[in-house]
Amino acid sequence: MALLIAERKPSLLLLALLAGNLVLMSSRLRGGGRGSLLQDSVLAIGAPFLGAASWVAGGVGGTWSSYVDLRGAAQENARLHQRLTVLAEQANAGEETRQELARLRDLLGLKAGTPFETVAARVIGKESAEGARVFLIDRGRADKIRPNQPVVTPRGVVGRVIDVSASASKVQTILDPNSAVAAIVQRTRVQGIVVGAGENGLRMEYVSDLVPIEVGDVVVTSGLDQIHPKGGILGIVVAVGQGDGLTQVIEIRPEVDFRRVEEILVVLKPEGDPGEAAQ
Amino acid sequence: MKSLRALLAIGAAALAQVLLVGHLPALARYCDLFLIVVVYFGLTRPPATAMTTGAGAGLVEDALIGSILGLNGFKKTLLGYLVASFGALFMLNQTVPRFGILFLATVLDPFVELGLSLALGRAFDIPGALDLVWRGLGNGVFGLLFFWVAARLP
Repeated sequence: MALLIAERKPSLLLLALLAGNLVLMSSRLRGGGRGSLLQDSVLAIGAPFLGAASWVAGGVGGTWSSYVDLRGAAQENARLHQRLTVLAEQANAGEETRQELARLRDLLGLKAGTPFETVAARVIGKESAEGARVFLIDRGRADKIRPNQPVVTPRGVVGRVIDVSASASKVQTILDPNSAVAAIVQRTRVQGIVVGAGENGLRMEYVSDLVPIEVGDVVVTSGLDQIHPKGGILGIVVAVGQGDGLTQVIEIRPEVDFRRVEEILVVLKPEGDPGEAAQ
Repeated sequence: MKSLRALLAIGAAALAQVLLVGHLPALARYCDLFLIVVVYFGLTRPPATAMTTGAGAGLVEDALIGSILGLNGFKKTLLGYLVASFGALFMLNQTVPRFGILFLATVLDPFVELGLSLALGRAFDIPGALDLVWRGLGNGVFGLLFFWVAARLP
């Protein structure tokens, strides 16, 4: 009946609803905030909505926050990975610099101990399949490099310059089978010729069998070839065998690791040095 | 069935409004979902349904936002009646007229509250014109979206 009246006379329903709301408002204002029964009822009806809304809001908010955090974590992860790559590259560059510095310090020490003028050079290429018979260095005629100048590292003798261009030179290492260096066994002072044996290292020939040579003896340059200064370390004796006639053949392990040589020192011998004529 | 739809609409509006206020407060300022529900019922249902929906939505809004109980109930009841009466006189089932009604209802809402506050001896600051325009535009856009969604519900 009431619904029918409300449908036909909406203005009556409007008045009733407005009046109801006014009563609610006035009772609230009169009561100084204390709720009436009607108000409590409305609040009781609204409370589940509020609870549900808070629950949904909390859930959605939590999910959203997790999603945002996850996105942030992913972005931060990518950023940190990038940073890590950069730092790894920097660390690697730093390590390279540190090692280079150590090598150059050694070279500098050697330079100070050499009576001749020297030029430091960087190995920029290696010829031969074994990779250690001929080096290409980044110094040439402009740096006073000349053929037959000896080449050394702090570990020992590397070889000699065999070809020079304006800004680069070729160095024949003592491993080259065509290389021959006048040498002496440090302990016994017996002389011989050290020739290259490629990957097998060095071989000392024409050594008298009257003098006993022992494994572990140090072999150095004798200076008699007028190319290499006297006393440069060539290597350590690793085996001693019988040669032709009255000689013995000695196998030597070079002191220089030719596969890892990066910087060398070229000893600049004075113009008119007999070594130059020996070429 | 009509009452159930109205209850569901009010409940959905309450949930969405709480979510908006909690997580997108800047957007919530320009989106009054209770008002949109009332306008929707005003344009698609008889005045009696629009008014009862308005009263219910207003009271729930009062309960949710903690204002004087009956204040929004009064406003939304009156708006429901006015929109339903207006809708009975004119064809308002197109996008532009609906947008206009949503806009007008938004602008009218604070003026009804101003009148009530004057009658009850309460202080009330009416929003600025630009703010009202933005609210009207916001409710217009969200209201049209609500109409679009509601038209596709079973």
